[in-house]
Amino acid sequence: SINVLIVVNRVYQVVLRPTLACPVSTRGYKGEASDDSRGDLIEIPLPPWTEKDGETMDMKRRRLLFQSRKRGMLENCILLSLFAKKYLNTMSETQLRQYDRLINEPSNDWDIYYWATEAQPVPNVYAGEIMDLLKEFTKNKDQEQRLDAPNLEYLDKGSQ
Amino acid sequence: MPKNSYLPWYFLPGTTHYYENVLLLNKHSDRQISQYPVVDHHFDAVVVGAGGAGLRAAFGLSEAGFNTACVTKLFPTRSHTVAAQGGINAALGNMEADDWRWHFYDTVKGSDWLGDQDAIHYMTEQAPASVVELENFGMPFSRTEDGKIYQRAFGGQSLKFGKGGQAHRCCCVADRTGHSLLHTLYGRSLRFDTSYFVEYFALDLLMEDGECKGVIAFCMEDGSIHRFRSKNTVIATGGYGRTYFSCTSAHTSTGDGNAMVTRAGLPCQDLEFVQFHPTGIYGAGCLITEGCRGEGGILINSEGERFMERYAPNAKDLASRDVVSRSMTIEIREGRGCGPEKDHVYLQLHHLPPQQLAVRLPGISETAMIFAGVEVTKEPIPVLPTVHYNMGGVPTNYKGQVITHVGGEDKVVPGLYACGEAACASVHGANRLGANSLLDLVVFGRACALTIAETGTPGEKLSPLKPNAGEESVANLDKIRFAEGTIRTSEIRLNMQKTMQNHAAVFRTGDLLKEGCDKMDAIYQSMEDIKTFDRGIVWNTDLVESLELQNLMLNAVQTIHSAEARKESRGAHAREDYQDRMDELDYAKPLAGQEKKSFDQHWRKHTLSTVDIKTGKVTLGYRPVIDRSLDQEECSAIPPAIRSY
Repeated sequence: SINVLIVVNRVYQVVLRPTLACPVSTRGYKGEASDDSRGDLIEIPLPPWTEKDGETMDMKRRRLLFQSRKRGMLENCILLSLFAKKYLNTMSETQLRQYDRLINEPSNDWDIYYWATEAQPVPNVYAGEIMDLLKEFTKNKDQEQRLDAPNLEYLDKGSQ
Repeated sequence: MPKNSYLPWYFLPGTTHYYENVLLLNKHSDRQISQYPVVDHHFDAVVVGAGGAGLRAAFGLSEAGFNTACVTKLFPTRSHTVAAQGGINAALGNMEADDWRWHFYDTVKGSDWLGDQDAIHYMTEQAPASVVELENFGMPFSRTEDGKIYQRAFGGQSLKFGKGGQAHRCCCVADRTGHSLLHTLYGRSLRFDTSYFVEYFALDLLMEDGECKGVIAFCMEDGSIHRFRSKNTVIATGGYGRTYFSCTSAHTSTGDGNAMVTRAGLPCQDLEFVQFHPTGIYGAGCLITEGCRGEGGILINSEGERFMERYAPNAKDLASRDVVSRSMTIEIREGRGCGPEKDHVYLQLHHLPPQQLAVRLPGISETAMIFAGVEVTKEPIPVLPTVHYNMGGVPTNYKGQVITHVGGEDKVVPGLYACGEAACASVHGANRLGANSLLDLVVFGRACALTIAETGTPGEKLSPLKPNAGEESVANLDKIRFAEGTIRTSEIRLNMQKTMQNHAAVFRTGDLLKEGCDKMDAIYQSMEDIKTFDRGIVWNTDLVESLELQNLMLNAVQTIHSAEARKESRGAHAREDYQDRMDELDYAKPLAGQEKKSFDQHWRKHTLSTVDIKTGKVTLGYRPVIDRSLDQEECSAIPPAIRSY
């Protein structure tokens, strides 16, 4: 009956999956063991992530700014808000959509950190321009001190 | 925009008017009007916050048939619970014979006898059942060879009431217990039709006649105001680490729930008890694990001296966390700190063989390079004792109901519940044990759901609410959105954080605290002069961060005033001028013949703090600790004793 449950879950997932041209990574979650030797790993599907429709580029940038600064753990808060400060305002539309997917689709924030620090390989669905930029940025070649997330005032046109 | 003819003649400057689901604020003398569409929702229960505790409560309520809304400023799997890599304590007895009463003893002792023993009894007794329940929900715990849940050792856990050696009770999911918990609970709750309102910022509680009738929030995506009316509101908003300059918390830990409760005129409890972890990266605050020191890393001061040899000759760098934290702070205060401002110490790892670093501590090299620009094989890492957890919060009883203390008695606030780090049940008392926090989340999240299910029924009719309820919150939002003072949000925030870090950190003395209280009061007043720059209403991060600053400010003033008033050292609150605990009896000496001190004369009591929002004045009151367990025959309460490990 566990096998039935897994099959039912997988079917449920496929049904929920929108028909997109590009491959969709599942947001289901499996435990730590890759081999289900005891046959009791239950995959719990979450609703698949979908892109937001009808958003202007400006709105996308504003949304992604908030979503870069507010993450699950401190390391990502600092890394992504510094990355957003450097790159977000000059990203093209394709790059914005890649970035949107990268920071909003993965369920575990730690995964984004491990991909950026190259501690774990990046899944194919997230590989691309933005991921490369993020990995390069994370290396901190200039060895600058990254003490905290930047203040927002760099966006204040009035102060410039 | 309604035609002017519909606006009442008394719609004078500085007033609000609620008309056809739109809240209008007439702000300036030139009749400039801001408008906010208001949407009203009716639910059986509303949960604010979607971390471990919020999700467990939302799931429990939905399962019990309540139409539940979960209002959260973050996507559920991105709550700060995801950072938790430790585990959940439960006396399952899989590794050796275990008893929840031993866990009860460890927790009471760990809390330095400030924890309420009825709540601790409830939590430790429910722990095994809660873990098994999570396992049944599909949470993939790490397993032993024979398929039982694997349990590992963790600090402060012992067998046989402290006499049987180290206990192994921490259940985990590899190193991603927090994420696994969130994912499991979120997935489950969706099957029961919980309504999630993601990226909605909760502004205030809707209180009427001392009863909580819901929450008012604003939607970041379109700037609309939403009033969630309900008979049952659960606060699960987490801690407030961000009041300090250096903390291990994400930028989302801003004490929103504590502030909402304070603005409603209700007290917060034990906010002076803030837990510090010895080694967080200077500035960034990211945690550097104790394992570094376990592998041979040492702490050095500006003179290159291994100073822990002086403070703890035997254990040296592996002394207990509060001892190490205090030693580091003394070195800095005595002028032997490192760096241009001499305000931190160094953690040296480059004397260890590079292969050992690479194999045993790989993550450290990355983190040190990224956040401190330091190459660990060549240079030491700058570290500082870092805020890690808040034991204090919204006071509740063991059932999760929020309480106030009136006329010497605990009184339940109708319609309001709290769980998780935001609440203070109080199971952690003056000091929290590792791996007890995730347990706290699931047990009390579930307790709130059970209590609501016991005291109410789904589909109950709601009592009426004033039509303009919540308008002060919207007026405040509007004021912040168009603020044209002279001091930027980031400046005020930095002032607050540096003051808290300098005056209310690990090292506390009367003069330093008093100075800090005065500085904090001035910084609170400076909020009137705040300057924001983003005037939009959709995805306005500046506005959200300024509202969060308001919330942080309320937490900060209560924390520092409570710390200044408490003239003793207990658990995480350690004062150099009052180094001992002051209980009602002196437990270091034989008890026979001692006279009990009166309530006013000893400090084994909870602090209750309230704030006058306009002036920022903090008023303190006290409430006795609950020393009885839920059932004296099943589990006898532990009488206070001197705490030594």
